[in-house]
Amino acid sequence: MRRETIRCLKETAAKCRLNVVRMLRASGHGHIGGTYSSIDMVTALYFYKMNVNPEKPDWEDRDRFLLSAGHKSMVQYAVLAEKGYFPKEILDTYGHLHSKLAGHPNMHKLPGVEASTGALGHGLSIATGMAMGLRLDKKPSKVYTILGDGELAEGSNWEAAAAAAHYKLDNLTAIVDFNGLQISGKVTDVMDFTPIGDKFREFGWAVREIDGNNMDEIVEAFDALPFEEGKPSMIVAHTVKAKGLKEGEGKASYHYWNPSKEDCDALEKDLMEQLRGYEDEI
Amino acid sequence: MKFDNYMDPRKTFGKAVTQEAEKNEDIVVLSADSGKSSGFGEFIEKYPDRYFECGIMEQGVIGISSGLATTGKVPVFCAIAPFVTARPFEMFRNDLGYMKQNVKVVGRNCGITYSDLGATHHSLEDFAIVRMIPGVTILAPQDPYEIEEAVKAMLSMNGPVYMRIGNPKIPVLFEREPFVIGKGRKITEGEALTLITTGSMTMAAMEAVERLEEEGIQVEHIGMPTVWPIDAELICDSVKKTGRVMTIEEHYIKGGLGTIVMETLNDNGINVPIKMHGIPHCYASNGPYNELMAYYKLDADGVYGGIKEFLKNEEGNK
Repeated sequence: MRRETIRCLKETAAKCRLNVVRMLRASGHGHIGGTYSSIDMVTALYFYKMNVNPEKPDWEDRDRFLLSAGHKSMVQYAVLAEKGYFPKEILDTYGHLHSKLAGHPNMHKLPGVEASTGALGHGLSIATGMAMGLRLDKKPSKVYTILGDGELAEGSNWEAAAAAAHYKLDNLTAIVDFNGLQISGKVTDVMDFTPIGDKFREFGWAVREIDGNNMDEIVEAFDALPFEEGKPSMIVAHTVKAKGLKEGEGKASYHYWNPSKEDCDALEKDLMEQLRGYEDEI
Repeated sequence: MKFDNYMDPRKTFGKAVTQEAEKNEDIVVLSADSGKSSGFGEFIEKYPDRYFECGIMEQGVIGISSGLATTGKVPVFCAIAPFVTARPFEMFRNDLGYMKQNVKVVGRNCGITYSDLGATHHSLEDFAIVRMIPGVTILAPQDPYEIEEAVKAMLSMNGPVYMRIGNPKIPVLFEREPFVIGKGRKITEGEALTLITTGSMTMAAMEAVERLEEEGIQVEHIGMPTVWPIDAELICDSVKKTGRVMTIEEHYIKGGLGTIVMETLNDNGINVPIKMHGIPHCYASNGPYNELMAYYKLDADGVYGGIKEFLKNEEGNK
C-alpha cells in the first residue's frame, strides 16, 4: 500500500515536472533550479498531505500552502494545475502579457494561491499570521510554507521564527529547500546560515532533516507532523538544485534558465521515460 | 479661540478599538512592544486571546497581520509612526497593499510630536510613501471625536488603512458626527482663500482663521481627515470660488497633502496660486514640541503669518 502511494507520488511529481516544461516552452525562461529542487515536496503536500479541495479553493477549513520563495512560482503552478485548480492550458500562457501565471504568484489572479509572494523574507510571517488566525478560530487547518535557503539571510524570517515558536504554533510547518546554491554561488559562501536546523531548534522549533528529493523520506516526515506538540515544525530538506534536469543538477547557473526548443524537447523526453518507468512499476 | 475638553489621542484611539472589538469578534490587536502605549490596556485585559504581543519586530508584525487577515480577522497594529511605515514599507506594500488585506495600521506620535527624540522618531514622509501603495486609505483625524468615529469607519470598511494620530492631548473641535471616509469638512466659509489642513494642524489653523476673521479676512477653511482618497469635489468647488489655496500639514511640504491638492487641481484643470506649508525637506530639529512647531511656523502664529504673507504677495502680484 505504502509502496503504491510512493510510486503514485513519484509519477505525479514527474507529471508536474512535465507541466513545468510547458511553462518553459511558453516563456522561454524560468527559475528552474528551485522549482525542480522543491517539486517532489510540493507534489507530496498537495497529493498526500494537505486537506484541500480544488473544486472549492476558498473552503474555510482547507490547509494552506504558501511559497515564501515566490520565484519558484512554476512549482506552485505546475502542482496546482495537476491537482485541477485550473485548466492546464493556462500553463501555456506563462510569461505572456497579462498571464494569470505571473513570475511570482499573485493570489488575486489564480485560485489556490494563498499569498502574493516573491519579495524574499515575507512568507514565514504571513504563514505565522495564518496559523494564529486558524488556531484562534479552532480550525483543524494546517499551514505549510517553503522557504529558500538563500532567503534565510533576510532578517524578517527570524522575526517570524521567534513569533511562531513564542505562540507555540504546532499547526505551522516550514520547509527549507536546502539545495545549497543561490545566484552568486554556494549559500555557505554567500552568507552562511548553517547549521540551519540548529538555528531553528534554538528558536524553539521542532526540526527534522530529510532528503527533500526522496519521496519515502518526504512522506515519512509528513506523517510525523507536528514533530512536537506546542512547537512549529521545520523540515530542513536537503535537495539538488534543478533536480530532474540532468545537465543542470547541482549547478548555481541553473537558478534561472533560458532553454531552447531543443532543450525543452530533451528534458521532456527524459521525463516521459521516467514517467513510463513509474507506470511499469505497477 | 478657547478650546476645551482635551483628550489623549492614543487613549481615545485604543478605547475606540476596544469598544468596536466588543461588537466584532474578528478584531485582533498586534503589538510591537507598543500595545499599552497605544491605549490598549483595557483591550489586553478584556481580550487576551485576541492580543498578540510580538516584540519589536514591525516587519514581522505587518506580515503576521496580513496572514491573520487572510483567515478573516481584522488586525489593528499601532506603533510609532515611522516604525509602521518607513521601516516595514515593503511588507506594507506587498503583504497589505498588493494582497489587499483588511489590516488597519496606525502610526502614533506622528509628524514631529516625538519632538525632542529627534529625526529617527519623526514621521514626515508617511503620507507620501503610503500613498504610493495602491488601494490604501489614509486617515488623519483632527480631534478626539473624529478619532473615535474614524476608528469605527475604518473597522467597517474592507481594505488596508493607514491612520495617523499624534501624541499631545487635543481638544474637541467639532460636534460628533459619523466619519465618512473620503469626505472633507468645511469648517468656515470665506472668499479670501481656501485653506486646507489635516490632522493636528487643523486646531492651530482654526485659531489663525479666527484672528483673520476679526480683521475682516474671511478664509474658507477645509479640514481633511481623509488624506487619501482626497475629497476632490470639495477642494475644487471651494478653489473655484476663492481663486487661491494654501495647505498646511505636519509633514514634509513635498509629497503630502499639499502635493495631493496640487495634483487634484491640475487634474481638474484649475490653475490658481498655491502655497504649500509644512516641514522643509530636511531632517527636522529636536526640542520641545511647541517650540519646534513654532520654529517651523506651524503654530497658530505661524499659520496666521503665513496666510497674511500669502495674501500680501498675492495682492502685490495683481
